[in-house]
Amino acid sequence: MPHRLELIGITKRFPGVLANDNVSFSVKPGEIHALLGENGAGKSTLVKMIYGIMQPDAGEIVWDGQRTVIANPKAARALGIGMVFQHFSLFEALTVLENIALGMDAKIPARELEARIRAVMTQYGLLLDPHRTVATLSVGERQRIEIVRALLLDPKLLIMDEPTSVLTPQEVEQLFEVLRKLAAGGCSILYISHKLHEIKALCDTATILRGGKLVDTCDPKAETSRSMAEKMIGAGLKDIVRAPGRTMGAPKLVVSRLSTKKSGHFDVPVDGVSFTVKAGEIFGIAGVAGNGQNALLDALSGEILGEDKDAITIDGYPLGLLDTTGRRKHGLCAVPEERNGHAAVGDFSLSDNSILTARNRLHMVMLGLINSGAAKTYTGKVIADFAVKALGPGSTAGSLSGGNLQKFIMGREILQRPTVLVVSQPTWGVDAGAAAAIHQALVDLAAEGSAIVVISQDLDELLALCDTLAVINAGQLSEAQKVGEVSVEEIGLLMGGVHGTSEARDAIPA
Amino acid sequence: MQFRLEKRAEPSRFMLYATPVGAVILTMIVGAIIFSLIGYDGIGAVREVFLTPLTNAYKWQDLGIKAAPLIIIGTGLSIAYRANVWNIGAEGQFVVGALAGTWVALATYTMSGPWILPLMILAGVVGGALYAAIPALLKTRLNVNEILTSLMLTYASIQLIYYLIRTVWKDPMGIGFPQTRRFAASAQLPTVIPHTIVHLGVPIAIVVALVAWFIMSRSVFGYRMRVVGAAPHAARYGGFSENKTIWLAMLVSGGLAGLAGVLEVAGPFQRMVPGFATGYGFTAIIVAFLGRLNPLGVIFAGIVLAITFVGGEVAQTTIKLPDAATGIFQAMVLFFLLAGDILVRYRIRRVVTTPAGAA
Ligand SMILES: Nc1ncnc2c1ncn2[C@@H]1O[C@H](COP(=O)(O)OP(=O)(O)OP(=O)(O)O)[C@@H](O)[C@H]1O
Ligand SMILES: [Mg+2]
Repeated sequence: MPHRLELIGITKRFPGVLANDNVSFSVKPGEIHALLGENGAGKSTLVKMIYGIMQPDAGEIVWDGQRTVIANPKAARALGIGMVFQHFSLFEALTVLENIALGMDAKIPARELEARIRAVMTQYGLLLDPHRTVATLSVGERQRIEIVRALLLDPKLLIMDEPTSVLTPQEVEQLFEVLRKLAAGGCSILYISHKLHEIKALCDTATILRGGKLVDTCDPKAETSRSMAEKMIGAGLKDIVRAPGRTMGAPKLVVSRLSTKKSGHFDVPVDGVSFTVKAGEIFGIAGVAGNGQNALLDALSGEILGEDKDAITIDGYPLGLLDTTGRRKHGLCAVPEERNGHAAVGDFSLSDNSILTARNRLHMVMLGLINSGAAKTYTGKVIADFAVKALGPGSTAGSLSGGNLQKFIMGREILQRPTVLVVSQPTWGVDAGAAAAIHQALVDLAAEGSAIVVISQDLDELLALCDTLAVINAGQLSEAQKVGEVSVEEIGLLMGGVHGTSEARDAIPA
Repeated sequence: MQFRLEKRAEPSRFMLYATPVGAVILTMIVGAIIFSLIGYDGIGAVREVFLTPLTNAYKWQDLGIKAAPLIIIGTGLSIAYRANVWNIGAEGQFVVGALAGTWVALATYTMSGPWILPLMILAGVVGGALYAAIPALLKTRLNVNEILTSLMLTYASIQLIYYLIRTVWKDPMGIGFPQTRRFAASAQLPTVIPHTIVHLGVPIAIVVALVAWFIMSRSVFGYRMRVVGAAPHAARYGGFSENKTIWLAMLVSGGLAGLAGVLEVAGPFQRMVPGFATGYGFTAIIVAFLGRLNPLGVIFAGIVLAITFVGGEVAQTTIKLPDAATGIFQAMVLFFLLAGDILVRYRIRRVVTTPAGAA
């Protein structure tokens, strides 16, 4: 059987980096093929060339046995290549149907299109009402639109770049069902993810890139997550090291009856959340996405202004009425989950991104003027300490690979030595080696006496990292429990009153 | 073979500065063609509009006094637009600033002293800022689009001129002309170059732009404007509230428009007249964009647009070009600039399509 896709010696160079260096591999029809590698290994770059977004500097793409130049995404789609991006391009105010119609290369009457959409949805069990407005949909549902859009073209190869980092575990399971059905029907799938247990559950083959070069090909089912991670980084994976005999100090961050108002339609507010984090403690907040995590982070960081000054205190000092700048001055730093446009400005240099949050704590401002030298020095330190792959402090944040930008953002906050650090999804899209480094940095910060709050959907991450764990569900926080005294089942049960994923809401009205 | 746009990894610095120059050159070429087609001497028109003001030394002072208000207003707008605050009503703030200065001038008519002019200037800045505060208030309190409110207030301000100069401020000696009396000597802006009409407003414009450039590139205020414009969500995370930014942007751009207004009424006009609002506030929008929202660029852009004003007048008398020609040239500059802007973020690539890839 001929290969569906064959890459021969693909090379792509950006100013200062060789993103892909002579990469060759092939994908068979019906194969689910994983593309693995550290942050900045060149995975996204490689698939962008297959989808025609970029052109290789050298090398050949062979499609169904024929040498091909894929000039643009339209040409890729014409060949039967579909791609689902991590960031969706949907118009919020339009319906599912309208969004799909806008993305089609050929104009199809709305009625016929709707019939085809419904047919694809039934075939693959993708439940979605074509007449819902996108603004009312969860992230998982939005992703389904993108998948349906790709499936309507009857693809022979579907590319997915980190599709699951935004999904709830239930949604991930549903996605995998769809992908398996597709593969069974002969469609090849090229799948990028840093979640190695997913790769083991889903993929038939894995190609591993490091520094732009292909370093290994393996069968993920025959490997452990750890062995694959070690192949990616080319060295042993470090375990979290905790100083022995660690003790926790006095209560540092005290949150009492913190509530927010409902702002947007589909935004889940927090409702009477109370918890205490001691000096040296890492406090985890688990929960399925969309249960008020964003509102909680914004209320803690000061982006949502509070009305009760005592709702948040550090060492007894009330912070409830302060804005983000005021809270940072008092030692509370925060990292929201969205990197692009929230935690960082893509068009700004890394140095300017340091000014965004570190200007006051690190004295980068004098008499209203910015000391750009200080910002540059600090940025250089973050890049070095957190092994951020970037040309230097002058690189724009948008030119970094997803995981490297996350490392930069985490480093920028951690090196400010905050008294209290609140982070959401600290290792989103970060490779295993870098995730371990970020975890270690958080543990070290706690060891210096800071109180840390980690909001994450990744239960394994929380169990490995935290001393104490609570679950957020529909905006309310459960009792805190000591990690080690609580079982995974118990937490699963707490997360289970699962909000927002009922089948009824997803059903297609006949 | 076909051409297509490919997104650049980083915005091109070269294109950032090359497109304004290209836009002006393209305007000259297309302008020459259009005016030839409709029966004028097209090449002559372009020569008169763009070159005569530069080659004829006698026109330089006109250039200076026309560029000054454009630079001052354009600087303020470039600051507001950076933060995505779309103050389109600089013309109205320019007028209200001038009216505020006129009020001081008339109230102190019988007095004299070096304090009168500074007081007028202060009143002008405050007047312009207050007039811009109305859209700011409506935007921050009721979320009313500032483009609409600021624009509509421009027309209100012009009616205000008509009302005041027909009633309370009417020149008692004016034999019925609706205009104010001529300002007393202490309320007139001095000229800085003897025997010319170049007034103090010209050096003030340069200083305003230089100071603004320094502030925008080095201060937290400038950082705030840039980050709010580039990523509002990140700005909030960084501690810059959106409402405060809207207020600052409106007050600064309104205050500078008011400053330009008072300098204009105390300088070239020396009295308030019905035709005071000549559109500097609108042309300054083009100046701000042509100057790349950078105060240093605004200096050059202000001079370019002043050339079209002065040149337009020249061409009216020498080759009988219609009055509207100036507006056409100015609009073309903006049009080509915005169209060319795509080259800053995208590059044009030639692609060779093979049969398999042809869609
Ligand atoms: N448009 C660009 N301009 C300059 N450099 C780029 C550009 N896109 C990617 N790079 C660089 O190319 C390298 C590979 O980036 P790529 O996005 O392919 O990594 P990745 O494997 O997808 O990483 P991640 O897992 O973090 O998403 C990185 O060093 C990145 O900084
Ligand atoms: Mg990537």
